[in-house]
Amino acid sequence: MMLRLTLATRLALIILVGFSTVVIVIVAIFYLTSVREGELVHPSPGRLDALASLIEQASPASRGLLLNAVASPQFVVRIEPGSGAIPATEPRQATMREAYAAGLGGRAVEIGLPPDRRTNRWFPRLARLMANATEFRIGLRTGETLVVDAYTRLPVTPLGLPVGFGAGLFGTIVALLALLVMQRETRPLAQLAAAVDRVGLSTDPPVLVEARRSAPEIRAVIAAFNRLQGRLNEMLRARMTLIGGIAHDVRTFATRLRLRVEHIPDAAEQHRAVVDIDDMIRLLDDALLSARAGAGGLSQEMIEFAALVQAEVRDRRAHGDIVDVMTEEGAGGAIVLGDRLALRRIIANVIDNAIKYGHAAHVRMGLRQQSVVVSIDDEGRGIPVEARQAMLEPFNRLETSRNRATGGAGLGLAVVRALVEAHGGTIDITAAPGGGARVNIVLPTFKSG
Amino acid sequence: MTTPAATILIVEDDAEISRLVADFMRREGFEVVCASDGAAMNAALQKLRPDIIILDLMLPGEDGLSICRRLRADDSIPILMLTAKSDEIDRVVGLEMGADDYLAKPFGPRELLARVRAILRRAGGAPARPVVRRFAFDRFVVDMDTRGVELVDADASTLQLTSAEFDLLGCFVQRPRRVLSRDQILDWTRGRSAEPFDRTVDMLISRLRKKLDAASPGSNLITTVRNGGYLFTASVKQVS
Repeated sequence: MMLRLTLATRLALIILVGFSTVVIVIVAIFYLTSVREGELVHPSPGRLDALASLIEQASPASRGLLLNAVASPQFVVRIEPGSGAIPATEPRQATMREAYAAGLGGRAVEIGLPPDRRTNRWFPRLARLMANATEFRIGLRTGETLVVDAYTRLPVTPLGLPVGFGAGLFGTIVALLALLVMQRETRPLAQLAAAVDRVGLSTDPPVLVEARRSAPEIRAVIAAFNRLQGRLNEMLRARMTLIGGIAHDVRTFATRLRLRVEHIPDAAEQHRAVVDIDDMIRLLDDALLSARAGAGGLSQEMIEFAALVQAEVRDRRAHGDIVDVMTEEGAGGAIVLGDRLALRRIIANVIDNAIKYGHAAHVRMGLRQQSVVVSIDDEGRGIPVEARQAMLEPFNRLETSRNRATGGAGLGLAVVRALVEAHGGTIDITAAPGGGARVNIVLPTFKSG
Repeated sequence: MTTPAATILIVEDDAEISRLVADFMRREGFEVVCASDGAAMNAALQKLRPDIIILDLMLPGEDGLSICRRLRADDSIPILMLTAKSDEIDRVVGLEMGADDYLAKPFGPRELLARVRAILRRAGGAPARPVVRRFAFDRFVVDMDTRGVELVDADASTLQLTSAEFDLLGCFVQRPRRVLSRDQILDWTRGRSAEPFDRTVDMLISRLRKKLDAASPGSNLITTVRNGGYLFTASVKQVS
């Protein structure tokens, strides 16, 4: 629970708790020092006894003066004629009544609630309770009844507010202000967290605006983050430049080589050399493409996926390979938002692998929910379950020898995986019904609007 | 051989490639002149007029694209572009810049020869390839030369666009069904309109969207792609 509170809330809570404690202590001190025992709640029996005696002794003329002298809003005193109408004390106040009866020198005394003279319009019950009122009816020896309504209200400050109210109010205001200020102070941190989350090499890095009015520590964190961002960017750019440069130079050499191949007299050797150069360039292109995919350098185009797959299949068939394609209902018009070259390389690589290691490629295309699913089966020996995941890692092939006769450098499926994932898709290897390997590629389809 | 005495100007910074290509082409009966960069090419052009220029994309100093654009501005010598990049974007850009064809490195000499002959044949026949500058999509036809947008089925009515809006639409119809980032749109439209573009791309797009939607309700031609940019979803056909 505590973990989910923001920094600002925590600080506000700390301040609030602090002020509450101070208020409680102040109120406690007030009560401890200024209130004599019992006096705050009810007038003491002795006081009532003295009052009753005074009234009994006073002349009728001076009784009014006397009542005026002792009366206060907390201590309403009046004399009612006769003594018959004293209502009996409620049982729960019996002990209190006995104490008063003992102190009043044998006068009859009953304790009750005063009539609702000042009932609050909105909260009658609450007002009664707060007033803490008690009515004493004392039978005077002169025959009348002395009625004393004692109200014990909360002590107030010179401003008329209850003790502690000011401190509490002040504390609350400070706490609210603190909350607002802290919210402002910590906002850059929240933004920083959001920005760090958005950092991916495939998107433009977010650069944070320096919060000039924030605390120095927060400013330092933001500045450090921006510097890190810059370094990452520079590194990425340097890497791309390096790869681009290598690719360009390798192509230059390959072009020279390709032109020189014409001078090889043996036609068969010449053909093999040309194939080697093509393979080399394809490998280079794939590496470059997956590096670009990792750096967000791929373009996004609406690609009619079935047509793209069929074109790849056609090319290989024209070449004499055993490839067939089956398009399920509805998959024909599926559109994938992606890089045409990359999508072509994905399909081409997997089909070429199937042909190379499994003699044939059987392509099947379908639509599942929001995705287009392509599975490519071969007729080879299949791939053991434990080796399947490793096949998708760079430089892993089923045979550990890196031998030209059985294939390339083992980048193929790793490149395919990098490209598929750059398109938000997944790839996995299972077994084909015929015993060969099956590669499943799932790519999200694009819906406009 | 259609043009036995045709002259080829090779602009290529790698001397070996230049030599190998030149040797091969000479054996095939062409006159060949080599230049290693843009300046050397200019010098060579002072002395002779080649029938075709084989131009490398990556050159020291002035690069192939800008040379291509410069040549196209005041001459009609056919250009075959050589590039070390295999991206299709380069191809599109190359052709937009006015190259007649394009060949990716590494290439075989026979492939090069076939392309050169094809270009020379075309150049000999038609004076210049007709450039299609009218594009049709949904119910609209955009004419890049008259800078007008017509509605197909309505009685010859036109869509009124501001200059900046037309540039934006032109940018979209020439690159349909491809996600364009704000920066790319800026790059391709800036320079034509005097308006400071910058952040107003978003605003301009929403204005254009509204106008297109008003003329063809429910067509929803421009889609915003999450953290990518904008996508013109209609399929565009070139019309004459």
